[in-house]
Amino acid sequence: MAKGYLALVLHAHLPFVRHPEHRYSLEEKWFYEAVTECYIPLIWTFERLVRDGVKFRLTLSLSPPLLTMFGDPFLQERYLNHLHKLIELADKEAHRTAGTPFAEPARMYQERFRGALHTFNAHGKNLINAFKAFQDAGCLEIITCAATHGYLPLLYVNPAAVRAQIKLAVDLYRKHFGCNPAGFWLPECAYVPGIDRYLKNSGVKYFFTDTHGVLFASHRPRFGVFAPIFCPSGVAAFGRDVESSRQVWSAKEGYPGDFDYREYYRDIGFDLDLEYIRDYIHPDGIRIHTGLKYYRITGKTDHKEPYVPAWATEKAAVHAGNFMFNREHQIRYLHRFMDRPPLIVAPYDAELFGHWWFEGPQWLDFLIRKIVYDQDMIELITPGDYLRRHPCNQVATPCASSWGNKGYHEVWLCGANDWIYRHLHWAADRMVEVSRRFPDSTGMLRRALNQAARELLLAQASDWAFIMATGTMVDYAVRRFKSHMTNFVGIYRQIVENRLEDGWIEELESRHSIFPDIDYRVYAGR
Amino acid sequence: MIWFRQRPSRRREPAPPAPLPGADTEFATELRTPAVTQPAAPAAPVPELPRRYGEDRLVLLARDPHWLFAYWEISATKQEEFSARYGPEAWRSSRPFLRLYDVTGIEFQGNNANTYVDIAINDESDNWYLEVGQPNRTFCVDLGRVLPTGHFVTLLRSNLAHTPRASLSECCDEEWMWLEGIYRSFGYQFGVSSPLLIEEVSARMGREVVPVGIASPVFLPPQPVNRN
Repeated sequence: MAKGYLALVLHAHLPFVRHPEHRYSLEEKWFYEAVTECYIPLIWTFERLVRDGVKFRLTLSLSPPLLTMFGDPFLQERYLNHLHKLIELADKEAHRTAGTPFAEPARMYQERFRGALHTFNAHGKNLINAFKAFQDAGCLEIITCAATHGYLPLLYVNPAAVRAQIKLAVDLYRKHFGCNPAGFWLPECAYVPGIDRYLKNSGVKYFFTDTHGVLFASHRPRFGVFAPIFCPSGVAAFGRDVESSRQVWSAKEGYPGDFDYREYYRDIGFDLDLEYIRDYIHPDGIRIHTGLKYYRITGKTDHKEPYVPAWATEKAAVHAGNFMFNREHQIRYLHRFMDRPPLIVAPYDAELFGHWWFEGPQWLDFLIRKIVYDQDMIELITPGDYLRRHPCNQVATPCASSWGNKGYHEVWLCGANDWIYRHLHWAADRMVEVSRRFPDSTGMLRRALNQAARELLLAQASDWAFIMATGTMVDYAVRRFKSHMTNFVGIYRQIVENRLEDGWIEELESRHSIFPDIDYRVYAGR
Repeated sequence: MIWFRQRPSRRREPAPPAPLPGADTEFATELRTPAVTQPAAPAAPVPELPRRYGEDRLVLLARDPHWLFAYWEISATKQEEFSARYGPEAWRSSRPFLRLYDVTGIEFQGNNANTYVDIAINDESDNWYLEVGQPNRTFCVDLGRVLPTGHFVTLLRSNLAHTPRASLSECCDEEWMWLEGIYRSFGYQFGVSSPLLIEEVSARMGREVVPVGIASPVFLPPQPVNRN
């Protein structure tokens, strides 16, 4: 009989990036890389576990922009082109590196990319099918996230903006998965008291906060973060465990920095002769990551040795064992103090697994097998399962918080990005205004109102504020934010001045095609 | 958003690869190149947003337990009203201020704040960070002008903003709820969490936020627990 629970939670999200107007888009490549390096390898991990009859439970959040990109035929085709080029490059590389210490990693990429192609096609080019099958098989609890990953506490000045971010996400989830999402990943774990009421209205049962979101709740939670609390609205809040996070996240002590693991920053896109690699990097000859990386981290200096896949696999197994040992230790300690089995909530960005931490999906595979077969202290659980087993929980209001640096809202509200909020708040107010003014629109007016809502939602993505704050790729984030806002302002003015321009709305609909079934009246509710 | 989260400690330009024992001579052609992560911006110009929307608006946001952020816009109409009431020279002869009210636990009527403080700003600003240093309090701010007579004239009033808690709650009585909303009470008991938790949380937030002295939830002896 297990003495405690471990809830592994992966949050998968990328901003909606789709540029049919460009022949080549560096930003679309974020999505292609994530598919090849993270989402497909995670699917492989789950496939292997299912094939071997391993009974596991894991929570996966798939953000609405990501779901939309998975299902988008244009991006599916572009991904296939991208993958075919990668396979071509890997084939060339296997030939070039024959007889060198790099032959083994090169062959590894050859196999992986062909495997990715096979998996992608096997699921009809739409990875939602793959994830849904794992949910239907009882392995995954798939949850949703805000419509465009809006940072809800900073949008809450106009509650209609928060309601729309939540309701549209839940509607999209129902469309894809045929049921209501049990849980909701608050973007950046950003919570402020009150937004749980909108989750409640959408039928959501739980969400996550960072550690102090639950620890600093009031009244003080008896069991800290090791049991969920109910907000007064009745929605449960699960707090992140610090120790399990640090073991995986920390740049210094975390597993991903192990010297046998693959070095992210050495990529043949930078290392090889420009003429040789030209066809596989940016068309303007700008060097970029190709995904073929041949070195292991090796040590703290720039000296790097070739990657040895077998050594890395061995380390992933060791680290999985260490992670499990530490959770057992934690649970053994905690369960003495509690009248119920302690719960350890370990949430991670899904993109850590495979992209930054190449061996992450393998680690997860080892960890799940070890938990299922090698011990009887911990049981894997999802928050939905937990609430069914332990339906009586303490009532407390979580503390406003996020999992960003310093724990509150500063990353998304600082000198680099604070200017966006006057536009976002104005636009949300105007969206509410026009949706109330035109409750029964038809034809082009209706389409214009719907597109205004899409442009507002796309501008609200927390990604833009985050990128502005971190200082890399700022131009793209500023451009995206200003473009969506300008589109909103333009549509709004055309609507209120009753002069809709021919062709423009249609063009925006085809380019910014998120939430095709949106009903702008989501903003009209009171 | 890990995609955009670089690992700064190990982010450096790739060095030339060290010659490898037994490596094919082809590797001699590997080049040193600076890491280019940001290609030239696409040609289309970035559209500029309106600087003002012609509306009166003052919004207050809580950034963290210690800081608030306010931004505002004053319409021309509002400015004209002010001049009409206080004289054509009044705008120039008055000075802009933010009046920050602590309105914790009250229904704010404009004159019943717990406390307030005036912060001098300048006519060029349209936003301001306010250090309040008070977690778990409710604030409201007025944008106004102080006439040469010393009289404060409110132009705009903000929404309310509540600073987040920065420590464990002092409220330790408990209320319990069943999943579908049926309440049930348990006896009083402190929370339990592992000692590392508190250290970690304080370390990460860069402040001494956890008043361990007040009522540490750590190191409690095991106690008998009420079972349902």
